[in-house]
Amino acid sequence: MANRAIPGVAAHATTDLPVMLPFNPKAGAHDELLVSRWLASVPPRYVFFLLLLWPVAAFAQGVDYTTADAFVALWRWIPFLTFQGFVFNILISVCAMTIGTLAGAVLGLAHVSRLRIIRQVAWFVTQLFRNSPWLVLLFIVLLAFPFQIEVFGTTIPIPGWVKAVIGLSLPIMANISEIVRGAVQSVPSAQWEAAESLAFTRTQTLWQIILPQCFKRMIPPWMNWYAILTMATPLCSLLGVGENINFTRQAMEAEGNRPELLVPFFGYSLVLFFAYCYPIARATMALEKRFALKL
Amino acid sequence: MKKYLALTTALSVGLGPFAAIAQECTNDTWNHVMESGTLTVGVKADYKPWGFRNTDGDIIGMEPDMAQLVADTMGVDLELVAVVSSNRMQFLEQGQIDLMIATMTDRPDRREIVGIIGPNYYTSGTNILAPEALEFDEWEDLRGQPVCAVQGAFYNQIVEERYGVEIVAFGGTAEGRQALRDRRCVAWVYDDSSIGSTLATGEWEGFEMPLPSEDDSPWGLAVPLAEQNCIFGNFMSGMQYNWHQDGTLLELEEKWGIQPTPYLQSMNERMADHLAE
Repeated sequence: MANRAIPGVAAHATTDLPVMLPFNPKAGAHDELLVSRWLASVPPRYVFFLLLLWPVAAFAQGVDYTTADAFVALWRWIPFLTFQGFVFNILISVCAMTIGTLAGAVLGLAHVSRLRIIRQVAWFVTQLFRNSPWLVLLFIVLLAFPFQIEVFGTTIPIPGWVKAVIGLSLPIMANISEIVRGAVQSVPSAQWEAAESLAFTRTQTLWQIILPQCFKRMIPPWMNWYAILTMATPLCSLLGVGENINFTRQAMEAEGNRPELLVPFFGYSLVLFFAYCYPIARATMALEKRFALKL
Repeated sequence: MKKYLALTTALSVGLGPFAAIAQECTNDTWNHVMESGTLTVGVKADYKPWGFRNTDGDIIGMEPDMAQLVADTMGVDLELVAVVSSNRMQFLEQGQIDLMIATMTDRPDRREIVGIIGPNYYTSGTNILAPEALEFDEWEDLRGQPVCAVQGAFYNQIVEERYGVEIVAFGGTAEGRQALRDRRCVAWVYDDSSIGSTLATGEWEGFEMPLPSEDDSPWGLAVPLAEQNCIFGNFMSGMQYNWHQDGTLLELEEKWGIQPTPYLQSMNERMADHLAE
């Protein structure tokens, strides 16, 4: 009996009664902008520290072949890695985002269709591509798709990076469709009812009343997905598509695969990707703040 | 369901004869190369000095040189495509490349997928790079120890099964070797010729290649399976025969600083012209 602490007095307050906990806006809730929020929360000055840290970390590692040699080697490869490598990462991400957005918008509107069968198909497609590993989708598209197609007698080659675009646009499509569906459904249903009472057709309501309101809400999560997609493009390197990471490995091989090359070369990739995605993340958070619902 | 079954049966019966015809030579790839005037060859771009990039992004090395000789003999332009171990056979199967010269070991399971053409142009065995201090003498010493390797190499599974080593596989050679330096594994298992070149650079003091090479296996170039016994396959056989006979492979080996292999020397002697001086 003596050991028994009194909750709230001698011990941490506990109860088995159904008590509603105070609402904590920071905890638990799903945050769809997690990646951008995290990336954008890095203060700009840290970026410069990071840039300084990179050569220092590399210097700490060197043995015989000095790190200065490794950076000289990197210097020789920078044009190739940037203009034949990273440019393709951007190209792949831009194309995949374009295709994914267009297809995702259609799929998202199918989610709010009045036909049950269309809703069900849209739900299935979305779940399928949203929950499949990106790498698996890439593998399927890269190995199952033909390398060229014949249209009206002319042969159109499909290079590896185009297949990567298709493979990456599938999960983007599914995720964008969820954004569109969520945005459309976030518009209060009174808007639909008001539109109906003013004799707007369903198409008119959607295009002239609902979507214009959704558009602003969709931009931040859309940009968030773009940043995620860009950071995912190195996945293509596992499939032999010529992009930054793949070429970085090949460049290190050509330089004799010295372990000292790892930090400078992959560090350069880090700097490139960071320099590209960081402004996007900052802009996403700025826009999100601006478009936030005023309650 | 019955309908589908009937349809499938009808299709398989209907298509049966075509499968039989496919065995005969249509020489699709050969004809396509000759018509388009471009030979597309899959080579490695991450396997110095066999195939690697220069700073302009061009693929150079011993295998690109061999590909160039093939294209010159056929009188067509050469286009090189960088392949990796995990996609080289699929690329050839799909027709994305016409010919594959990509450091591929000639294995029975691979012969079922692509048309590997003899005589083999090179051979290498499996060995390890390990610190001298560990004093390995035989493969059995590695039992139960972590050994670094590169993903997709056929010998990973062999040494794992035969000697019970724990393979720690990496995507690239540099990462694997760094792991060896970081002592995440006791040895680095790789091709003996490549380890030889690595040691020859003199940057791996305190390391050695202590074991007898195992599974000395020939490397094979490959054409699509359907072309194996047709024009393209026979042509590639002839190319390799000549390379062995006139010493082209020995010259290329020297040009790219590859450790001389007894295999190429013995093939050169075996195929020597009996009428030549």
